[in-house]
Amino acid sequence: MRYFFFALACVIVGVAQEINQIDLVPAQPENLGSWAQVAQPLRLYPTLSKSVRYEGPSLATNLFGEISLGDAQYVIMLGVSAQNEVALWVDFDGNLRLTSAEKLQPTRISGGLAWSFTLLARPKDGNPYEYPLSVLWPEGRGYVFLLGGCPLSGSFQGHKIALVDGDLNGVFGTKGDFLGVDVDGDGKIYADPDGHEYFGLSEAFTLGAKSFKVREISPDGRKISVEETSYVPPKVPLIPGSPAPDFSFRDFVSGQELSLKSFRGKVVLLDFWATWCPPCMASLPGLRQLYSQFHAQGFEIVGVSLDESADDLRQVLADQGISWPVAFEGKRWDNSLAALYRVYQIPTAYLLDRNGVIRYRDLEGEDLAKAVAELINEPAQTASSGASGLPELSAKAEPILEITVPKETGLRPGEESSLSLRITNASPYLAEEIRFSVQGLPAGIVSKTPDIFDLPAFGERTLSLTFWAQKLEPKDFPIPIKVRVEYHYCIAEACFQMVQEAETTLVFGASKASGFVLPWWVLILLAMGVLGTWLIWGRGLSAFSVFIFALALITLGFGVYLGQARQAQRIAAVLCTSCVGIEEPHPSQAELSSELRLAFAALPKASHLVLFYTPWCRACPYAKNLVTEIAQINPKISVEMVDADSERGRAEKAGVVVNGKAVVPAILIEETGKVLFGTNDLATRLLSALKEIP
Amino acid sequence: MKLRHLRRGTQALGIFLGLLGITGIGMTHIIFPGLHCYACPLSVTICPIGLLQNLVIAGTAPFYLLGVLAVYGIFLGRGWCGWFCPFGTVNDLLSWRKVRYRKALSPLKFLVLLGTVVAAWRLADTWFCKLCPAASLTASLPYFAMGLTEPTTPFFIHMGTLAATVLGMIVVARFWCRYLCPMGAILALFNRASFFGLRLNSQKCTGCNVCQKACPMGIAPHLEGNSTNCIKCGECVSSCPQRALSLGFSLPGARGYAPLRFPWSHSRVN
Repeated sequence: MRYFFFALACVIVGVAQEINQIDLVPAQPENLGSWAQVAQPLRLYPTLSKSVRYEGPSLATNLFGEISLGDAQYVIMLGVSAQNEVALWVDFDGNLRLTSAEKLQPTRISGGLAWSFTLLARPKDGNPYEYPLSVLWPEGRGYVFLLGGCPLSGSFQGHKIALVDGDLNGVFGTKGDFLGVDVDGDGKIYADPDGHEYFGLSEAFTLGAKSFKVREISPDGRKISVEETSYVPPKVPLIPGSPAPDFSFRDFVSGQELSLKSFRGKVVLLDFWATWCPPCMASLPGLRQLYSQFHAQGFEIVGVSLDESADDLRQVLADQGISWPVAFEGKRWDNSLAALYRVYQIPTAYLLDRNGVIRYRDLEGEDLAKAVAELINEPAQTASSGASGLPELSAKAEPILEITVPKETGLRPGEESSLSLRITNASPYLAEEIRFSVQGLPAGIVSKTPDIFDLPAFGERTLSLTFWAQKLEPKDFPIPIKVRVEYHYCIAEACFQMVQEAETTLVFGASKASGFVLPWWVLILLAMGVLGTWLIWGRGLSAFSVFIFALALITLGFGVYLGQARQAQRIAAVLCTSCVGIEEPHPSQAELSSELRLAFAALPKASHLVLFYTPWCRACPYAKNLVTEIAQINPKISVEMVDADSERGRAEKAGVVVNGKAVVPAILIEETGKVLFGTNDLATRLLSALKEIP
Repeated sequence: MKLRHLRRGTQALGIFLGLLGITGIGMTHIIFPGLHCYACPLSVTICPIGLLQNLVIAGTAPFYLLGVLAVYGIFLGRGWCGWFCPFGTVNDLLSWRKVRYRKALSPLKFLVLLGTVVAAWRLADTWFCKLCPAASLTASLPYFAMGLTEPTTPFFIHMGTLAATVLGMIVVARFWCRYLCPMGAILALFNRASFFGLRLNSQKCTGCNVCQKACPMGIAPHLEGNSTNCIKCGECVSSCPQRALSLGFSLPGARGYAPLRFPWSHSRVN
């Protein structure tokens, strides 16, 4: 009887909650949309912690990487032969032996090489399943992109639903995975991260009058159950053809109250930007020209600035002579308009027609001018044609820094305590303007955070956060705190703002932190010792000198232990032409005149440029940006970046090494073998060198 | 005279070690104990001032660099300037006018050192290198000759600083070492405590000032030996008619006098 009531209760609860089971089957990403494929960088290393045996002909270079799909781990090896043939080995059988049977030949894609294969994912507590993956190698780099996500699709209440393994870990239901649900029933799912049909696993989606959220997902993703939840208004579609959500704002310069609706009857470009975003700044002159050309005919720009500093914005508006209205809240990414339009990367721009309908997205340059002209000539109140301008988003905003903090840090009243914080950039992108703040500190504890800095690709830095409290009782402890790290990074033209947090605890007393603490005391003792020699005389000085000599040896030893001898050698082994003042330093942003752009675009011959750079070179970012821009202007020109420091052999072969010293930046034109050094008049020299290609 | 011959030998060794790149061995981990541009095509050692700036820019606590510099400093002090540094040798060869040292200009080299560090820290660039006359001589000119660089503004700035320094050296012996060298400033901190130094037999010294006239740094060695401006070159030792001065390795506390004990007074101890 007891069991009967229990079963009945289960049924009642089940019915009340309306648990719905959905079966999913593997789907072709092409049938779903570009969002169904997720790209993630994977760093490659010369060696792995486990020993992997390669059985095959000798290679000029080989780099290893590891792919984890649930409990299954696969080693991949990228190998370049002496004949410059590139291949990928995948340890399909997981025996840590790479044989010729596991060698895959690449297919060439623009800017690199690609391989596609299928691995077996083994989620814990779940059935193994096939996981298709692609590896894309931007040639010459020390990393690859993994492309996958194993999209699964099914149907729920007549609406198409898809599940993607967004973190590429082979297990469904983990952080980063997401759903795409065709909520509007148009047969197509818009599940880009800012799409109205994208739902994180904890996010509710609404079909008609009911909202649902995920209750359970099987580790292999084949079965998901959803349950009804309290009603959540559906996300507003922001795709071409849908009306742009209205908002009102106060113009930053004039202080006038405006709304998007007040521009009805005009063609409006809604531009999300910020002064700290280089691609946004680069687009301003073009926008200004467009504005002066079409403003009289009914073209308006509404800028939404994601800046924090009103002064920076005022300065840029004045310098650039911007006269269109700009909305400013001073909250960076917490901007309410950015939230309304689900802006997670900038620049983002919507072009609205005279009826306030979104018609295009993220157009720039000539395409934008053409679209504005088209919409200007279109009479108001016509039905929208629903032109397709849906962007192909290249990547998803993801945290790129790894933050390591000790579990706890000791703090004593009246004493300064420091927490050593290690920040590692796990991506091939530059993390810009990294700033720190501490959350959850009670009154009475003062913290000092490090200054704002940039961290280059795969860079690492150890910093210290200091805490100080005048008066605290042991009973006030432990104090859980969060270290908040805020930064942004750009991939090509798209910039993302990120916030990451690391948790730690302040405890009473001396720190039990285990991390390696820099022996600052040695430097302080050494400095005090040197000062002491000025005060001591007579025989005491002899003993003191011996003491300083010993201290110097200890300091030197610490330096060698910390790898600073190698660092010193790396710094010195590079001749950065602008660092030693042989050349003029350039701004890191390359600016090409319109004549040069046309000249590069008109080059008829295909060519491959190899840019040799090093991490220590401060003139290299300019050269990198320049060649990247040239490759964008003319698709016949391909570009490869080579770290002359780690790929010494290639640099020597190209003639970039002079007497054992790599001269960077240097650009090798593979077709002619000509090498261009330095950055002076680089664009002009490069143009004439490219013209020499027979 | 013998001491000077020996010194010319070690100076030649300094130049030789600076040009070891001709053997093709490539850059080593060794920090050079003098001012010698590591951008020089033939350099195989690291310029301490160039490295210092790069470490400041990178935000690295310079344990290795400071440890090495302290070892060098305790070993020879500014003896490196007098006996080894290739740029010091260039200064030496032009030491015709051994005028009196101007004490008022003494803090200048320390300010150059401080300015170098502050510029690297605040402007995140190696500004000293862009002006360094040693770099003009051993990097800009060779690269210009090899056709790797063109005569641009930075090249002309380098040539300007080199010309000004050479002119200074001609007018004032060891002009660069006396007043401007940041490497000299670092080694000067250790000069008194180093194991290599001048010894004075005050019983023999008559205070005739002959040594002062021989000193390329323009100091009075019998009063200011082993001070921050003494490069321990030994010119005074050879010149002393009483043979009251000697040069060599000794414990710094047993050298017979401690001029820096009272820097403001020229009184002899012993």
